[in-house]
Amino acid sequence: MNKNLDELFIVSGNPLDEDAKSVVGLVRQWADREILSKRMEYREGYSKLFAEQRRRLNLDIGIQWLTLPEENGGFGWNDLSKAVDIAHVLCEIGRADASIGSLLAVQYAILATCTMKHNLNRKLCDMFSSLYISDTVRTPALILPGPGMAGKTSALFLGRSILTQVKAKKGGYTITGRNLRPLLAGAAADLFCVVCAGEKDDRACLALVPGDAHGISTGSPLRTTGLNACGNADITIDMVSISKENLIDHDGAAEELHTWLNLLLGAVSVGAGMNFFEILSDWSETRVIKGGFTLKENPLCASVLADVAEETALAKMLLFDLAQVISASAHEGLHTTRAFTYSEIIGNRIQSSIIKAINRGMELMGSAGYAKEWHVEKHWRDVKTIQSLLCGVGAEAPVKMDTARFFYNCAEL
Amino acid sequence: MINFDDFSRPEEYISPFDKHFRKVLRKHLEETVMPYRRQFDEDWKDHHLIEPAFDKLMGELGLQKSLFPQEYGGWGVARSDYVFRIGYMLSEELGRADTGMAVALCVTFWPLLVIMIDPFVNERLIKEFAPMFCDTKKAVFAANAMTEPQGGSDIENLGLLGGRTIRTTARLEGDEWVINGHKLWPTNSGGVAKLFGVPCTTNPGSSDPKDFAFIYVPADLPGVTQGGSYEKAGMAADRNSDIWFEDVRVPSWYRAHGPGTDAEAFYQLISFGQMASCAFLTGAMMNLYERLYEFVSTRTYNNRPLKENDAIAGIIGRIAGDIDICRILGHEAAMIGDRRNKPYGKPLISEDVVGRIRNIKDFISDRAVENFGKAMDVLGIYGADRDWDIEKHWRDIKIIQLWMGGKQLCQMESARYFFNCETL
Repeated sequence: MNKNLDELFIVSGNPLDEDAKSVVGLVRQWADREILSKRMEYREGYSKLFAEQRRRLNLDIGIQWLTLPEENGGFGWNDLSKAVDIAHVLCEIGRADASIGSLLAVQYAILATCTMKHNLNRKLCDMFSSLYISDTVRTPALILPGPGMAGKTSALFLGRSILTQVKAKKGGYTITGRNLRPLLAGAAADLFCVVCAGEKDDRACLALVPGDAHGISTGSPLRTTGLNACGNADITIDMVSISKENLIDHDGAAEELHTWLNLLLGAVSVGAGMNFFEILSDWSETRVIKGGFTLKENPLCASVLADVAEETALAKMLLFDLAQVISASAHEGLHTTRAFTYSEIIGNRIQSSIIKAINRGMELMGSAGYAKEWHVEKHWRDVKTIQSLLCGVGAEAPVKMDTARFFYNCAEL
Repeated sequence: MINFDDFSRPEEYISPFDKHFRKVLRKHLEETVMPYRRQFDEDWKDHHLIEPAFDKLMGELGLQKSLFPQEYGGWGVARSDYVFRIGYMLSEELGRADTGMAVALCVTFWPLLVIMIDPFVNERLIKEFAPMFCDTKKAVFAANAMTEPQGGSDIENLGLLGGRTIRTTARLEGDEWVINGHKLWPTNSGGVAKLFGVPCTTNPGSSDPKDFAFIYVPADLPGVTQGGSYEKAGMAADRNSDIWFEDVRVPSWYRAHGPGTDAEAFYQLISFGQMASCAFLTGAMMNLYERLYEFVSTRTYNNRPLKENDAIAGIIGRIAGDIDICRILGHEAAMIGDRRNKPYGKPLISEDVVGRIRNIKDFISDRAVENFGKAMDVLGIYGADRDWDIEKHWRDIKIIQLWMGGKQLCQMESARYFFNCETL
């Protein structure tokens, strides 16, 4: 496609500064050179090349320590005002491979709860910098509140069940939870960030549990619709001890985590949507129907193409609006509930728009959209997986409850 | 307690055959397919596991001979007044278990229907092909080699294009047809099918239906080359590949009927394929209901089962409601086909039948794609998990929306019929 995506899909707000532009440019170069121009080779050697490309991106370019403070050796993108720039980076990565993007989105979301300037925890910054600024590709996993089991009452985070409990002990805490389903990477994680129910008031807090801690057991590898390279598995955390510093329990920590996840996984999906747009655009210019008309010149096909562009453009605008909302909080501090609610509404809409765009575009590509050879179906599976993961449980219903609570002060929901 | 059998269907449409055979088939599928379908999903390339399951289903249970007349060892279904409705029942039960297997089996019927459905019957060919399917306990497949590299869905758009874009040629030399061409994507290609039905042109570039030929080509003839199986998002039990026909010679009587009649007979099977697509989808959605029922009863939001939360009930209620409506419509599509010879019915090649059945297929496809996607979101972090089967159906059924000209051709047929469009 000989069009400039940046010119086609506009976003509101100020242009990137030189620092951000150069990082985003590097990541785009990586995406174009290492993956997009070698799609077939990348697909055929996926398990090996996935690891190699993660390494190149995380370590050679240094994206693994992007959001760590400068004083810890990171890029210093640990300020709410960098939300827009981080979203740009993840968009570029999502354009190449949603699995790589999703693992980084999870990492950045975890870090954002304790290394951003407004919530900076020095000890955790030190811990994270020794973990992430290294020559090893790191894989964090996240366990969020989700569906509970009928017949068992659990602590709740806005209606979602928290299946892990934290108990204080001398010098730290013990964490316990059975058959937990991480968002991604349960089988490969070197660090788990687990939303736990506090001992006294069931308030949601975040426990950082090393992947090799005694008491963690991992179930069989899971096969999923998409993002399989992330290597997920259920885990059980049996009375695992953590130090005091490894518990993040400031007010709104769980809401902050969700806010960032909605933004960052939204960016990954928008990136995947961008690449789908590129593929479809090429397809519409080179394929004919009715014995000679290119697809894009047929009014019905053109209207489908327009739907794809519209959904993609809206998703991208919404994504960067959300990033602006977070970014603007840098001056006044993050209004946790408002940011959380907006992130839920926008995050949900972004995923719906991108999956709709891909679904509609596949209608025009027919079987080619369904064959692995065209690289469309991977985006379709990956984005659908992200969408379901972000729903957590009950489709859009919990998001609607969160929205109603915020806008109408519902007290019983 | 209500179960998936309670989704509506017009009882007066149901064939006597349905009443006893549905149970037999369901039991067979619940024992030999459903427990293994997740493993089948990984077996797309070699069919090590899928092939024995097909042997049991098609050879031992005997489904592959069902269309053939009883005097040749079959069950006589093609001559039945209920052929569309029996096809619907088989496709629905198969779709509930594994849509990939459903497609592979039903596409075997497809080219055979061109010579078996009244008024287009070719007794000589039926007799010739019957032993291939009826005298064995091993699964035998047929395929319709339609789609061509340059044309996409043009062949299914026969009403408009009259075969003008077909590039696969058939040339009569003495008492043999010589076939040359390249086809893509046929179900049961990649070395699976023993017999291909091949739409060809006897006069390239012509849109005269008389120049359209439907010719049977045994897969083992010299000049037939098949590529490796495509790797796809789903539908593991349905193998697809490229096929090249290079100076392939078949007897002259392997042409289905003759000039003009081939096009009409071929056009009939488009509606049969659309009707079966509806059934694959309603069957899959019935299984969606089963799996979703289990999840929403055993998992909670706000410490109550999901199904007891009003907001979530609104979502799953819509899903179940859609399945109910789609099943009624699917049976109506089958009934439209079976009314073909009745005074109040219309021929299968009429715009009325084509437009209405395509319309129903388009509607059910959209509802299925939407509902499977929504159900995955209800499952949330478990939605993409293979253990719940819903995601497998989600991957499998997408191609049903896309095939046979896809959504846009359905819309065009519908517009042509309902608005008398003349230039679309």
